[in-house]
Amino acid sequence: MNMQQAIKMTAAETALVDAYTAQIGDLPGDGSVLSVRDTLVHELKTAGLPTRRVESWHYTDLRTLLRAVPAADPSAFADRVDALVTGATVLSVRNGHADVKGNAPEGVTIRSYTDSLLDGSAAAGLAVLGSDDAIGRINGGLVRGGLELSIADGTELEDPLEIQLVQSLGQAHTRFPVSFGANTKATVIERHLSTNSAESLISSVSDIVVGEGADITWIVLQQQGAADTHLGQIRFDLAKDAKLHLFLINAGGKLVRQEIHGKTSGEGADFKLRGINLLGGESHTDVTFTLGHNVPHTTSTEIIRNVVFDRAKGVFQGKILVAKDAQKTDAKMACNTLLLSDDADLSAKPELEIFADDVQCGHGATVADIDHTQLFYLMARGIPENKARGMLVNAFVAEIVEELDDEPLVEALESVISTWLEKHA
Amino acid sequence: MPAVQETIDQVRQIDVDQYKYGFETTIEVEKAPKGLSEDIIRFISAKKSEPEWMLEWRLDAYRRWLTMEEPTWARVNYPKIDFNDIYYYAAPKGTTGPKSLDEVDPELLKVYEKLGIPLKEQEMLAGVQKSKIAVDAVFDSVSVVTTFKEELKKAGVIFMSISEAIREYPDLVKKYLGSVVPPTDNYYATLNCAVFTDGSFVYVPKGVRCPMELSTYFRINEKNTGQFERTLIIAEEGAYVSYLEGCTAPQRDENQLHAAVVELVALDEAEIKYSTVQNWYPGDKHGKGGIYNFVTKRGDCRGKNSKISWTQVETGSAITWKYPSCILRGDGSRGEFYSIAVSNGHQQIDSGTKMIHLGKNTSSRIVSKGIAAGVSENTYRGQVSAHRKAENARNFTQCDSLLIGDKCGAHTVPYIEAKNSTAQFEHEATTSKISEDQLFYCLQRGIPTEAAIALIVNGFVKEVIQELPMEFAVEAQKLIGISLEGSVG
Repeated sequence: MNMQQAIKMTAAETALVDAYTAQIGDLPGDGSVLSVRDTLVHELKTAGLPTRRVESWHYTDLRTLLRAVPAADPSAFADRVDALVTGATVLSVRNGHADVKGNAPEGVTIRSYTDSLLDGSAAAGLAVLGSDDAIGRINGGLVRGGLELSIADGTELEDPLEIQLVQSLGQAHTRFPVSFGANTKATVIERHLSTNSAESLISSVSDIVVGEGADITWIVLQQQGAADTHLGQIRFDLAKDAKLHLFLINAGGKLVRQEIHGKTSGEGADFKLRGINLLGGESHTDVTFTLGHNVPHTTSTEIIRNVVFDRAKGVFQGKILVAKDAQKTDAKMACNTLLLSDDADLSAKPELEIFADDVQCGHGATVADIDHTQLFYLMARGIPENKARGMLVNAFVAEIVEELDDEPLVEALESVISTWLEKHA
Repeated sequence: MPAVQETIDQVRQIDVDQYKYGFETTIEVEKAPKGLSEDIIRFISAKKSEPEWMLEWRLDAYRRWLTMEEPTWARVNYPKIDFNDIYYYAAPKGTTGPKSLDEVDPELLKVYEKLGIPLKEQEMLAGVQKSKIAVDAVFDSVSVVTTFKEELKKAGVIFMSISEAIREYPDLVKKYLGSVVPPTDNYYATLNCAVFTDGSFVYVPKGVRCPMELSTYFRINEKNTGQFERTLIIAEEGAYVSYLEGCTAPQRDENQLHAAVVELVALDEAEIKYSTVQNWYPGDKHGKGGIYNFVTKRGDCRGKNSKISWTQVETGSAITWKYPSCILRGDGSRGEFYSIAVSNGHQQIDSGTKMIHLGKNTSSRIVSKGIAAGVSENTYRGQVSAHRKAENARNFTQCDSLLIGDKCGAHTVPYIEAKNSTAQFEHEATTSKISEDQLFYCLQRGIPTEAAIALIVNGFVKEVIQELPMEFAVEAQKLIGISLEGSVG
């Protein structure tokens, strides 16, 4: 496809470009940042939003699906909410504005991302991941704030850090470069919430660097409103013997695209992705994942569980790349779906791209309704059908949550799941 | 775990420099001028004495093709094809269509003899008493002979070149041609509609079980010539037919284009079994020459409880772009796809299948094995989809890949799409799936572990081979032993 060809811009494309033009004197950034922004917005203008002809957007035609973009409203106010688990340090970001005044736990340095834009240190990180990186483009062009966290070598955080993004309406574009030093241990909760039913569009990029021997759990809990568009991206890079357990729950939003792009850069690195997508209503939710096993002796496992109700559409695209020299890679990916309505829709594309000959890679994908023998078993014991169904759906996703080795966190997430299921099942 | 030595040796035996069918036959030919234009299409149509509607159909396709763009989504790289630097029609002099065996140029007969294709009706394969096999031999742009035609006719089966069928059974052809792969389908299929020169036509009437295996053997001989064959197979209610296809080409430094379209139509309770042993010239070990194989194959299970099964053994071609598919339209219909694709040298394969579930209670099964060696790239690309009304659609997919060496690549790109809650799809691509039970069973009978593993794994590959009719299994014999131990998923 010739990207240079002039396109007729859609309402959403126009709104995004206009949002940039309107704020041009006001968006934070030094000369280098502004020049990157210019390029990104120009690309957005010429290429438009991706259509299904762009392979990585095959099942999410953003150009058609994103009909309108709500205008940014600088006067909008959003309340803080309670932390997901007691004891967590809440780093609050409301309508895109990060609050850096809170007390940081020992070993954690917090800086406003806006400052990094202003002094130009953020410029390099604004580069897109490829010509199909629409989220990187929108976010890079319009990002105003966020947080830059750096966790000193050897820091072990007892309580989770909660990056709490609360949106009331309008637009917000945020970024979170986070670097975990060597041998750190921490749990971070990236929580996206909406306080009302007004329409909003948010884009958010978290850029995670995990240092040697670090052991990190990162949870993305997306609970936006039924009218919201969520464009999220997680980038990660794992050093030698680094461990990252990425836990993703989608339980909200109207149009959601959650991208995860990572690579292993040091031997012994281990990545774990666990995803739960609770989909209902008329929502469209797309989880797209790529992982480059770039060096020998690295491991990864990915398990995605989708529960699809109503007229919802779910998408999972996963791609594991094993580089030429990455011998002894061990990678396993599974995507299991319960399709619970005839109007629901699920598409999966679990890809492998392998260039090394001494590796173990596998992927599996299943789509099915609730197992009738299991249902029968429960009903035979006097449990009414509705309840039995609920139990089975709950069990299907809950078993993944239990892998988290943190009781209050498991409880909090289980309650998010059961609340959602009660509302939709 | 890397591939075992035995496998490496076996794959080596069919490496690109071991190509056995690369001889060239000097035979006087009649060619259309090089290049593609409406005049060339008129020339081809006139050569085949086609009715006016056929010419119009071709010209429509050509005009549409001019507006289309070459697809770039497949994982294959090749220099841009100059479609005006190809001969679209080449036929042995004096041959415009199949003749009786006595009239065929002895030089041509020698070619088929050398290739081991039985053209003489009384001849049995390799001296062993085997069932009869009817052959349509296509040499460059024309069918030179079709055997057992009369005997088949007695059973009511029509087996002839498509050019003859257009003349003799225009109504049947008109009814079905383009009904599975429409002229607008894709770049190469549309090109094929405009310039196809020959291919086979099979019609099995209601309730008839075709009394013998049918087969077409395609040979590209002329230099700079493209082969565009068109095959159409129709199985009426309750009919059964097994069809085989083989292909080879001489060793040349230039690339040659092969863009075929195969359409299968299975009506109520009918079954079509389509097998391919694709052995086009793969190019030399430096990647020079070889056939570009861009093929559209699709079967339409139009009737209830109909069944279409594709089996393919792919070892040839510089580039393979091929996705034999099944449209499971009839309630209770079933589609199957079994494939072994071995790539050596600089070969690039992007192949797989599509199972489109439209009707109720439809089921499909995909078993695909890819083996990449040398500096080749081997991609499985498959789609399984269940539409809204496809209640109780079932699919099972298994695709395994094996890499030999660290300069090649193996890729898996499955598309799984479910729009019905009663659909049940399972897709897996796992490493050496040997069940403990099977292993225990062998060990208990005194078979040592290693031998037991080899036995089980080989049995696994045979899953594909055994789907091939006996007659063709001979060609695939050398693949039988290939073990997938060390498969990477």
